[in-house]
Amino acid sequence: MAMSFSLPLVKMQALHKSYADGAIQVLKGIDIEMKPGERVVVIGPSGGGKSTLLRVMMGLEKIDSGSVTFDGKPYISSGVKESKTVIDMSVRRSIGMVFQHYTLFPHLNVLQNLTLAPCKVRGEAKAKAQDRAQTLLERFGLGAKAKAYPAQLSGGQKQRVAIARALMLDPKLMLFDEVTSALDPELVGEVEQVILQLAAQNMPMMIVTHDMWFARNIASRVIFCAGGVVVEDGPPEQVLGSPKEERTKEFIDRVFHINQ
Amino acid sequence: MEYTFDFNAVSLAPLLKGLWVSLELTVAANVIGIVFGFGLALLIMSPFKLVRLPFMLFVEFFRCTPAIVQIVWIFYCVPMLFDVFLDPITMGVLALGLNLMAFNAEAYRASIQAVPKEQIDAGIALGLTPVQRILHIVFPTAFRASVPVLLTNGIVIFQQSALVAIVAIQDLMYQGKSLATETYRPIETFTVVALIYFAVSFPVTQIVGLLERRRQLLVS
Repeated sequence: MAMSFSLPLVKMQALHKSYADGAIQVLKGIDIEMKPGERVVVIGPSGGGKSTLLRVMMGLEKIDSGSVTFDGKPYISSGVKESKTVIDMSVRRSIGMVFQHYTLFPHLNVLQNLTLAPCKVRGEAKAKAQDRAQTLLERFGLGAKAKAYPAQLSGGQKQRVAIARALMLDPKLMLFDEVTSALDPELVGEVEQVILQLAAQNMPMMIVTHDMWFARNIASRVIFCAGGVVVEDGPPEQVLGSPKEERTKEFIDRVFHINQ
Repeated sequence: MEYTFDFNAVSLAPLLKGLWVSLELTVAANVIGIVFGFGLALLIMSPFKLVRLPFMLFVEFFRCTPAIVQIVWIFYCVPMLFDVFLDPITMGVLALGLNLMAFNAEAYRASIQAVPKEQIDAGIALGLTPVQRILHIVFPTAFRASVPVLLTNGIVIFQQSALVAIVAIQDLMYQGKSLATETYRPIETFTVVALIYFAVSFPVTQIVGLLERRRQLLVS
């Protein structure tokens, strides 16, 4: 049997997460192992826990129980006291995230948005960070926008800047949380192109999206998440093309507007 | 009406001297209000109730009592209670500054709470420490959002500063009162006094309007 023995990049074990003191359970025991170089697309109905999963991975949400290791190192675990979540900050620094609503800092121009974290977090020299930022912006077709403020950019440009900003910290894993959902339809393509560019360079990523065309094009693996559990997990042809589980099938049919 | 206006009796020199004192009081009070108001805002937002409560009480005291009572109280009660005697101008600055601090703290608090949570999330995702997030994300955004309210509060304090005339600080209002008594021309004198207050305040209110319009353009 052909098996790869590479260590998992991410290993989530029995992740549980609830809101409102346990009244609303969002994650009900998630186990996902992700190998280096994999591009995992998470799909599923709203409220199924997709975004929460990404936010937990970024260390933005506490968990009730379970653990996450990253690159073989313990990253997130629920502490001894129930309300405490232990997050290794040095591990968190090797993960980058892009959000639905751009979240550029409005008072900083594009270049300053990109250099803030490298200079403050890693103590990088300003000139060096600016050089790297300019190179990255050129690559994303934004070279002329370095001095522009976020309010002067289109949604697609803002989102590309946000991706560049996350890349400035040389992440080993990128998380994309519905990054094209807030965009006008004609601007979706330019953002997806940038992510496909990263995929071509083997950047490991976890993507939450409702865009099935994009999912099919970028995923090396698709996970269907509903009701806080992983319902189906496999290569894109299988999960999107001929799903085994009835719930996956229903969802895919509905997304593609196929009526029986 | 049989009244003949005579503005010749109103000499500008003492009034301008008074205006200078009023401006000094206003600027000093604003420095206190803008700088320490931010610290006060952080204190009233403290997660610890024991820290938060006394400062909230401080803010509410200044917001819920008339400024004139605060001024009189500080002028007569502080020296007696604490045995400190300061020169009148310092006392005036203190009274107006503490009052402005309370109002500005509220303005800061509202703007800090209006910083979108996603901005903080982005800061966390970029590895910024809590202090760096306050310094580089929360403070600049909140400060910009507060500027129109800070300016409005600042100009209100310029007008409130007229109240210190009651404790014999020789500000614009005090000089106006003396002049009116000397010349028996209260109508002319107080008309000129009003025009001077207006001439200083009006440009500032226009700037506030301009800033707010520009801000709406930026946000949309």
